[in-house]
Amino acid sequence: MKFSKLAAAAATSLVLLAGTAQAADKPVVGLIMKSLANEFFQNMMKGAEAHQQKRGDYELVAVGMQNETDFESQINAVENFITQGVDAIVVAPADSRAMVRPLKKAMEAGIVVVNFDVALDEDAKKQQGVELAFVGPDNRGGAKLAGDALAKKLGEGAKVVIVEGNPGADNATQRRLGFEDSVAEYKLNLLDSRTAHWETEEANSVFSTMLTAHPDIQGVMAANDSMAIGVVKALESAGRKDIQVVGFDNIPAVVPMIKDGRMLATVDQFGTDMAANAIDMALGVVAGGKPLEGWVKTPIELVTAD
Amino acid sequence: MTTDTLKSAAPAREGLSLRVLMQNSGIGLALLALIIFFSVTTEHFLTPNNITNILTQITINLVLAVGMTFVILIGGIDLSVGSVMAFAAVVAGKAITMPGFGDAEAIALAIFAATMTGVLCGLFNGIASAFWSLPSFIITLGMLNIARGGALQISGAQTIYSFPFAFEEFGSAMVYGVPVVFLVALLFVLIAWFILNFTVFGRLLYGIGNNEEAVRLAGHPVFWYKVAAFTICGLTAGVAAVVYMARLNISSPIAGIGFELNAIAAVIIGGTSLSGGRGSVIGTLLGAIIIGVLANGLILYGLSDFMRQMITGVVIIVAVILDYYRARFASK
Repeated sequence: MKFSKLAAAAATSLVLLAGTAQAADKPVVGLIMKSLANEFFQNMMKGAEAHQQKRGDYELVAVGMQNETDFESQINAVENFITQGVDAIVVAPADSRAMVRPLKKAMEAGIVVVNFDVALDEDAKKQQGVELAFVGPDNRGGAKLAGDALAKKLGEGAKVVIVEGNPGADNATQRRLGFEDSVAEYKLNLLDSRTAHWETEEANSVFSTMLTAHPDIQGVMAANDSMAIGVVKALESAGRKDIQVVGFDNIPAVVPMIKDGRMLATVDQFGTDMAANAIDMALGVVAGGKPLEGWVKTPIELVTAD
Repeated sequence: MTTDTLKSAAPAREGLSLRVLMQNSGIGLALLALIIFFSVTTEHFLTPNNITNILTQITINLVLAVGMTFVILIGGIDLSVGSVMAFAAVVAGKAITMPGFGDAEAIALAIFAATMTGVLCGLFNGIASAFWSLPSFIITLGMLNIARGGALQISGAQTIYSFPFAFEEFGSAMVYGVPVVFLVALLFVLIAWFILNFTVFGRLLYGIGNNEEAVRLAGHPVFWYKVAAFTICGLTAGVAAVVYMARLNISSPIAGIGFELNAIAAVIIGGTSLSGGRGSVIGTLLGAIIIGVLANGLILYGLSDFMRQMITGVVIIVAVILDYYRARFASK
């Protein structure tokens, strides 16, 4: 009995040893994401883990942050990855300026760096003399898709409002600009534009007040689906069924709303695959492929009831 | 020390006496001034629909602020209420979406789950800070993280959705244009007002805020009174979670970030002293209304989000400075 246990233990450790020896041959990819409290990045991490299981020819070390603004922990993660000597770093920067310097250090250490989700600041890159491609969706273009869908439904001159994300966040800015592009192209009448900090409850409060100030609103562009849900609830309590709402992200909670027409459209940027795709590209370069250049756009798609 | 212990531990009952009226009249006048200002300068402020909106919008903060009043009265603070609300909402969201229950059972289960989660978190806050005599600031800061982490862990950082229709109806129900959820909050204000003014427990909470040692020497179980204050605060966080779920028909693990600060602001603007022992829940009601009227009115007025934030900050500071003069005036 005792012996067999011992043997089992020995066998296990042999397997483990063999496992680590094998792992040493596989390239190691360090994945740095933003806040894992965010549904979007949580799904992205799951996508990356599933991808690692499926491919099986690389090791994945994934790290997230405490919250959206905690970019110091991302800088620490880069430094740790340099020390560990990973083969590639795949990063969604929380701050498009602060991350340039540590990533430059990583590149100088011979690590393949792929920047995805949020683009690093062009000026900061130039200043540091860094050449780095960006793999990611066009947030501005995506927002314009949703905005255009709204504009086509309502027609020229329609009265609309925008519910913005966190002021200062790059994707919030890009989405606002995208909505404003639609406003300009279809000559919409933009009555008001306010932040609800990505959050449902705040969007509910802020939008019901906007609706009081402008009872003639015809359409709402929300910079994410969580806020769109808050807008839809506000419309329900006000008994308004004539107002069209578009969102962004295509989270599961809005699927029934799109289906029954409470929301006109949302935008899917395939966040689950985003990290996985960036990892594929990084591994391609690690394996001796050509370095990435410019902006490698990832797919975005307008989601409507039909 | 001797003069301290001699000082009356429990001040005179406040009730709805002239003194309370005088104490709250400053806040009341400020509120009246705001209402007149927005009524004159904006077209839609004083309309039935907008008043309904304001009442709906202040409900969650009011519920949280009622519990916060108890904690601040004993000289404590609870920084965890926003996170505990999210935690309770997620636990209740998991409960309400469990298969195999009828609507009524599911809703009852969710309300029970939310309030129990709140109560347990508050109980922990109270016991940990009172037993080791630790600053509640630190204990509840810990709980802020525990509850937020718990909410994210249980939900897998996903929004929980599709609740029974009846629950949603409760969230948007009105009685003569007054949201039912607001009436629930008002009921809590009344119960709190009764407890704080007409029960020994309530009077001794003021006593603990003024002079904890004196209350202890008088033979009262100060420990349990403090635990009870924090537990009540936790309970209101659970109730706020129910309101959140009924109103929005979702449970989000990132709900309520920063709500503790709004609740504290409502209590302080309402004239309750941050060092404890002085204040009233009627003041808290007025404080919550002022914050709600400001948030609503400044949007109608067309002010930018950033200006709005600045003005809210100024109002909090002015309220605390006024409180300083009121305290000096009262001690003379």
